[in-house]
Amino acid sequence: MSPTFRVQGPEAGRLSLFGPLTAQAPGRIWKALLARRDLRGTLTLDLGGLSALDLNGAAQLLWLRETLGGRGLAVSFEGLAEAYAPIWRLAENSLGPPTPPPPQPDAISRLGRLATEFLADVAALIAFLGELLPRLAGLALRPWRGRWTLTLRLAQTAAVDALPVTALVAFLVGLILAFQSAMFMKLFGVDIFVADLVGLSVVRELGTLLTAIVLTGRSGSAFSAELATMKTNQEIDAFLTMGLSPTRDLALPRVLALTAATPLLTVLADFAGLLGGDVVMIALGHPAAAFWTELSQHLDASDVSTGLFKAIVFGFTVAAVGCQRGLAAGSGPEAVGQAATRGVVSNIVILAALDSLFAVVFYVLDW
Amino acid sequence: MSWTGDPPDGAWPLEVEDLTVAYPGGPALLERVALRAAPGEILGLLGPSGCGKSTLLRHLVGLERPRRGRIALFGRDLWADEGAQMDLLRRRFGMMYQGGALFGDLTLLENVVFPLREFTDLPLKAAEAAARLKLSLVGLAGFEHSQPASLSGGMRKRAAIARALALEPKLLFLDEPSAGLDPVTSAGLDQLIVTLARNLSLAFVMVTHELGSIMTAVDRAVLFDRELRGVAAEGSPAFLASELAGPQAAAFFRRAKLDRGAQSRLKAENGHF
Ligand SMILES: Nc1ncnc2c1ncn2[C@@H]1O[C@H](COP(=O)(O)OP(=O)(O)OP(=O)(O)O)[C@@H](O)[C@H]1O
Ligand SMILES: [Mg+2]
Repeated sequence: MSPTFRVQGPEAGRLSLFGPLTAQAPGRIWKALLARRDLRGTLTLDLGGLSALDLNGAAQLLWLRETLGGRGLAVSFEGLAEAYAPIWRLAENSLGPPTPPPPQPDAISRLGRLATEFLADVAALIAFLGELLPRLAGLALRPWRGRWTLTLRLAQTAAVDALPVTALVAFLVGLILAFQSAMFMKLFGVDIFVADLVGLSVVRELGTLLTAIVLTGRSGSAFSAELATMKTNQEIDAFLTMGLSPTRDLALPRVLALTAATPLLTVLADFAGLLGGDVVMIALGHPAAAFWTELSQHLDASDVSTGLFKAIVFGFTVAAVGCQRGLAAGSGPEAVGQAATRGVVSNIVILAALDSLFAVVFYVLDW
Repeated sequence: MSWTGDPPDGAWPLEVEDLTVAYPGGPALLERVALRAAPGEILGLLGPSGCGKSTLLRHLVGLERPRRGRIALFGRDLWADEGAQMDLLRRRFGMMYQGGALFGDLTLLENVVFPLREFTDLPLKAAEAAARLKLSLVGLAGFEHSQPASLSGGMRKRAAIARALALEPKLLFLDEPSAGLDPVTSAGLDQLIVTLARNLSLAFVMVTHELGSIMTAVDRAVLFDRELRGVAAEGSPAFLASELAGPQAAAFFRRAKLDRGAQSRLKAENGHF
């Protein structure tokens, strides 16, 4: 094969170079040279033996001169063949000193930046809400202006495609809840009340929350990523410069779709959860109908409406936060991933906070 | 100026015979394409927008499998072996995409250092010096630590050229390197390409619409046509710009003829960058 690059020396302040000096030069030659701490004064590099020199080769020589020069060793070159002179000149004239990397912020300013970012995030969410609600009101006044085809398609992907996973998760949670409580209540012979425990928990709390969390993962994150990608591709800018509103044309259909889809999915999740409870009751030897009879005595319309009301609010929140995080994304590929992550994290925190708030409010209102 | 003669040991950096260019399941965009680039030659690919030049490049670098025809790089058939052999072959050329295709999560310096780190064992600082040199050659000294997203379109394009040059491969594919650049920067790039081709024997295969680039840098040009679905004319830029090269070339170069004065000015200024 082709000859490889090699050196002879350094002896008496001279290092002779042979062969092709390109990016494929063995790096250990330079490492060995830099490890020599005994070199003093001047080092002359004899380039007469080089059989090729490209820009990468010239860059290595210039880097060597710079690095050794920093240690007080003056490097000079001699014997470069005329054929390589143009490349050498090009490299020598172009390669300047390295640009210092931008300063990294210290811990305290990072902390300060995090705090301001957090506050700015909250402010941006509230501002977005302030933009979204008037749009919603505008749509209510002129419903024929809405993008209903898009909204329907989005609702379909959000709701119909999420059916299996929501039902499965709710069923398993109902099953686990019933099983765990039945173990204990059977000791006291009150295992029939498992029906009420599962029924109330699922219908008032868990069915709604599970649906909202599934939708956060499936739809909210997708909204963030979609809109963030559009932002990186300057599609959002194009919307704005055409005098269109991304909030109205992109966010509103998504928000409406999810607000409509969540209560429907919640009803299904409720049924699936109750079914899970019933399965445990049947396994404990009760007739299948006992579960529903017991439930019908303690579960009333207000329990169901509580759950559905929350579902509407959660659906709205998940979509709005997802869209806001997408629209607020930075640029570059990282920004898309970041937007999706931030959307999901914000949503889970906000869902937990909202649910606690609802628990207190409903208790006070005795709803 | 331009390269003449046969390549050493008979291996052309690029040799294409009877190639059909198409997307899978789509119609043929170009048919019976034959191309050849010699070491140190600057081959221009010209043609109207949408005629399939970028798609042709995708075929030449092995991103699309040709429906018909043969592509050989450095005397080796590109599709003879799709495993490690193809990867080895791919390391021997560089490619600059029309949109830049910089890695968005790396700085410019990291983008250019990346191939050097992967495929050489130079000390990191030496690789960085080489990368800084490439960036400085395309006029981006001082932007080493910038993220691609924070740059202008033309700057991203130049950074992409620097990355394609990182390993100084003997064959480079450039998709519209100077489109959208100002005339001075564009002429500087042409000058760089000519210097590298003449002194390092790098072969360039570049798609370009820029008359300045065609007349000052390109040694031989191939003009594609959408209606003909193939090569309409081929030859030196001077030949293509003459009346002899046929109606498609005449249409393509009509501006050039109107603008002979500007052309000679360009020639005179070439080299003052
Ligand atoms: N991913 C794709 N799948 C199918 N067809 C495509 C794809 N990308 C492009 N095309 C079609 O292939 C044709 C050629 O596209 P190509 O990008 O190669 O054109 P071009 O000659 O490079 O044009 P320009 O000068 O505008 O860059 C176009 O008509 C386009 O519609
Ligand atoms: Mg193209």
